Amino acid sequence: MTKGRPEPALTTAQVPEILRRKLVFVSGKGGVGKTAVSQGIARALADAGLRTLWVCFEDPLQEPGAIRQHGPKLWYLNCSAELAFNEYASLKIGSGPLSKIFLKNKLVQYLAKAAPGIHELVLLGKVWYERTHYDRIVVDLPSTGHGLAMFQSTKNFSVLFTGGPVHRDAESMIETFGNPAESGHLILALPEEMPLQEALELSGFLQDLFPENPPGFLVNRLFPGVEQTRQSQSEADQPDSWPTPLAKSAADYLQKRMILENYNLRLWRDRKIPFGALDFVPPPDPSRSKESVSDVLSEELKRKGYL
Amino acid sequence: MNWRHIDEILDERRIIITCGTGGVGKTTLSAAIGVRAALQGRRTAVITIDPAKRLATSLGLEELGDRPANITSEIVSAFRKAKAAGMTIPDQFKEPKIGRFDAIMPDARSNFRDFLRDLAPSAEIVERVMSNPIFQIFTKEFSGANEYMALERLQAIDSMREYDCIILDTPPSRNALAFLAAPKLLSQFFDERLIRWLVLPANSLVASGMKKALSILERLTGTGFMTNLFDFASTVFAVRVRFLANLEKTMDLLESPDVGFIMVATPTPETAPEVRHFIDILTKHHFNFDGVAVNRTLGYLDPVPASAKSPKHQRPYEVLTALIAREKKALSGVGSGSTPLCAKLPELARDVHSVEDLFYVAMALDPDYRL
Repeated sequence: MTKGRPEPALTTAQVPEILRRKLVFVSGKGGVGKTAVSQGIARALADAGLRTLWVCFEDPLQEPGAIRQHGPKLWYLNCSAELAFNEYASLKIGSGPLSKIFLKNKLVQYLAKAAPGIHELVLLGKVWYERTHYDRIVVDLPSTGHGLAMFQSTKNFSVLFTGGPVHRDAESMIETFGNPAESGHLILALPEEMPLQEALELSGFLQDLFPENPPGFLVNRLFPGVEQTRQSQSEADQPDSWPTPLAKSAADYLQKRMILENYNLRLWRDRKIPFGALDFVPPPDPSRSKESVSDVLSEELKRKGYL
Repeated sequence: MNWRHIDEILDERRIIITCGTGGVGKTTLSAAIGVRAALQGRRTAVITIDPAKRLATSLGLEELGDRPANITSEIVSAFRKAKAAGMTIPDQFKEPKIGRFDAIMPDARSNFRDFLRDLAPSAEIVERVMSNPIFQIFTKEFSGANEYMALERLQAIDSMREYDCIILDTPPSRNALAFLAAPKLLSQFFDERLIRWLVLPANSLVASGMKKALSILERLTGTGFMTNLFDFASTVFAVRVRFLANLEKTMDLLESPDVGFIMVATPTPETAPEVRHFIDILTKHHFNFDGVAVNRTLGYLDPVPASAKSPKHQRPYEVLTALIAREKKALSGVGSGSTPLCAKLPELARDVHSVEDLFYVAMALDPDYRL
């Protein structure tokens, strides 16, 4: 992330409103739970009877490019840049011998692999293309900087490629992602200093890219009891005033954690940012229950009226 | 459990590289290892990419962190304060001979420019490439440039021979391995056989397949892009020999016994498979794996009372108990087999916001330290 950027005036959208859009992009700092939450959203949408595709990018632990069915209306795609590039090229050139010459060419393969921004462009291009085949698409973006770079590359390419079909496609993609009637951007954070701060920076950058399409904010893994202790908190409870950064006991830890999370959330509350919140769910024990974290989250999203 | 003590690693390695996914506390841990090394008398540098604001402030990195910020005197006075506040001090730190502590926050963009200036045969080439839109995208977004520049910086700082110990906190990435792949990704970019195609004069003998492929590319992307691409390629061609020599030096350093890698992780069910994957890749690269540092553990809070005193605390206790149970399982998963564990650090009750707070982490790096 670029440092020292002046903070923009924030405009935000409400979470339920974002989740009604055809394309939902979930972004945020690494480790905030983007994968589980985006899968939870996709599951809840599929449960509501919508044909839903959940997309992640280049997960090294999954087979590249495969679309797997995860429920009657739910599919998962591990989007691969290499496959997406080939697919896109065939789409543009046709699947005849010319396309073979093109894709087998060493120089083209080199450019597809090494040229900056091509990966990002074709990965988002794949999402953009698939939107016509599903009712909803939920995208698990890479963490902050890289996720943002995906949109920025697409925008840069629309400038870099003057004329030609790639230019036109990149323009249409940017238009779709910036249009609140079609796409929504959800920024996820934890009630911790860094993720909350990064969310603010990210929203500024997103707003520069998509001025007409303000993002929504969602805080994940809010510890139980945080909301209830919010009012009773006094100024003397500032975490900085504690003599050590450690907790003495379980009880001490819990009390401090509630204070700390409320303290951290001031970053958003002071800016009057409306945000949704998801409870801290420790992952269910797989030996006792078949439910996954995303199942639990999808139930919570429905229960809280976000979906 | 197979322990490898952090002090043993510090004795063996001049450079420690910490890897891990976002949110695991890599930066705090790197700074704490650096503090420990400095307390042991080493001249220490911590290179960090993206610290939290308050941690950056406490490390003296508020602005222009690209130049080393020497905060040795802050460390000395903070150590006195922490001692006075009653922090348990192990024997080896009772009378510490504090070496030196520098924090460095490289600016990838300006480093890339300097790096190019070093490599390019003329200033004119630097100017030409800097104004090329492809280069601008490259430095901004090429998902290996940041990582690679961190390694370049490491090598440059190490070659000054001013430090006994350098800790490199790797940039935040989607997975711990992205960082390791960066040099290879970049070297692909400099593949001579292929760049040659782009810099050949248009009228020279080019295979017909290549001509066809290029004309399709031009049809798809427009002429403007092709012009920029040829221009960019010719610059890359001009700097490639020195770049590749530099890259080789960096890779040699990373493979040398002076450098050790530590993986930072949190105790979750995904940790064990991630660690195994990480070790596999490290081994393939011929890098030295020194151990897993498990951060943000809650086990030190044991025992959690079976039932809470007030109903208000019922649910928080349940969650805490479940977290501690999950952590135990995850730890035994990571610690099974021969994977060395080099630290198990407590989840703190607040974000680290001062050098004093860092001492607690630095002390807790020793598994025998009583919190």
